[in-house]
Amino acid sequence: MNDHHEQRLARVFVELADTLVDDFDMLEFLSMLVERCVELLDVAAAGVVLSDHKGGLRMAAASSEQARLVELFAVQADDGPCLDCVRTGVPVYSADLAADELRWPRFAPAALAAGFVATHAVPMRLRRNVIGALNLFKAEPDGVDEASVRLGQALADVATIGMLQQRAIDDNTILVEQLQTALNSRVVIEQAKGVLSAHGGVDMDHAFAALRGYARSHNLRLSALAFTVADGTADLRAIMAGADHPARRAEQ
Amino acid sequence: MTGNHRLRLHALLAVNGNHSVSALTRICSLAVMELQVTGVGVTLVSRAGASDAQQRLVHASDAVAARLEDLQLTVGEGPGLAAITSGAPVLVPDLSAARSRWPAFCPDAQSVGAAAMFAFPLTLGAIALGSLDCYRTTSGALSGDHVASALILAEMAFEALLAEVAGHAPDDLGWISDIHAEVHQASGMVMYQLGISMQAALLRIRAYAYAHELAVAVVARRIVDRSLLLDTES
Repeated sequence: MNDHHEQRLARVFVELADTLVDDFDMLEFLSMLVERCVELLDVAAAGVVLSDHKGGLRMAAASSEQARLVELFAVQADDGPCLDCVRTGVPVYSADLAADELRWPRFAPAALAAGFVATHAVPMRLRRNVIGALNLFKAEPDGVDEASVRLGQALADVATIGMLQQRAIDDNTILVEQLQTALNSRVVIEQAKGVLSAHGGVDMDHAFAALRGYARSHNLRLSALAFTVADGTADLRAIMAGADHPARRAEQ
Repeated sequence: MTGNHRLRLHALLAVNGNHSVSALTRICSLAVMELQVTGVGVTLVSRAGASDAQQRLVHASDAVAARLEDLQLTVGEGPGLAAITSGAPVLVPDLSAARSRWPAFCPDAQSVGAAAMFAFPLTLGAIALGSLDCYRTTSGALSGDHVASALILAEMAFEALLAEVAGHAPDDLGWISDIHAEVHQASGMVMYQLGISMQAALLRIRAYAYAHELAVAVVARRIVDRSLLLDTES
């Protein structure tokens, strides 16, 4: 590992640990985590699911808004590495999804259809508190390599500690509020993607890119901007005008 | 985990079913027992077009809970309203520590006997119907298990409220928990395409699914991949 890479890594760890700020936004934090995973690890995609406190798992962040990746997390409500990982609290993986269709009858075919051949889920936990999982995907055979798994777990651990740092004297209070806020924001973002997709005639990936691009260039929180789109008060034309590839149209 | 939790609560609601009493009121009573709080009420967000009757209807397990709902709407602040705005639970184990946060609400709330309040929003992204507000006469946090129960009960209250808006009896409890990203995306598309609210869009998708005996997720998929376009007649 060269110096540049080491420095980058050190900076990422600091980024993940720096959560004791007043305006901590869990969704943006988790989006940053998955982005860093794809940058630093030898993986094609990454996503985070969180326990919704109601017995379910919900996607909180994904490294791409491609429908097929997003869908993989909806599917994992029924079966998949994340579900197994959260239930057991230990890493769960498959180096060959084609061989694991019996193990995960809904997830494995969906993952293969999305172009992934291997997966590895590591728990986001602090002692007995498993709040979710970080799911890594590979498009090439042989499984996620050991170094990437170790580093992925380390990133997940630092992120989890960072999230749990927000806890007040009462174990649950702030953590529950923040996790539920993140999950609700995610719903708003999906609703907003739909509105923009219909308005601009673009697919969900591009709708999201337009939303995020506009939020960044106007220094707005993604979830706040998404809310204005979803409640009908946003200037959709302005948001789409900033999109990189307005010419890409969805299939009719 | 809490896999059976939801089923158990649905069953309890059905068992308690005195159908002349609205589902919301029954959910409030169920919440009191399940969460071991003193009382539970529902704050409704009044919407343009909502009938006067719906706005005046109070769903609460007791007079104090009803009073707390009235109070929030009168002073325009409180845990329930905060939960509706944030889309997340607002858990207040000790109201006296929250006086600076809600100076117009807390003193009066405490004077009628509330020491702690836990508010759970009845929201689904940008769809906001109200909040399920629980109070206790003693301070202290809500346990993790009780928080989980409350979230499920809030989901049931959300479904019951949607059913009221759509004009039919609450049925198919738990359909909201089966919804994932694509249904939200489809709701956004239908909202834009038909020029209706997000709430109306979701109801339209569900109505189409029921009329055609399809899963809501299947209808959503077709809307998103543009093989289905709902029109105003659907």
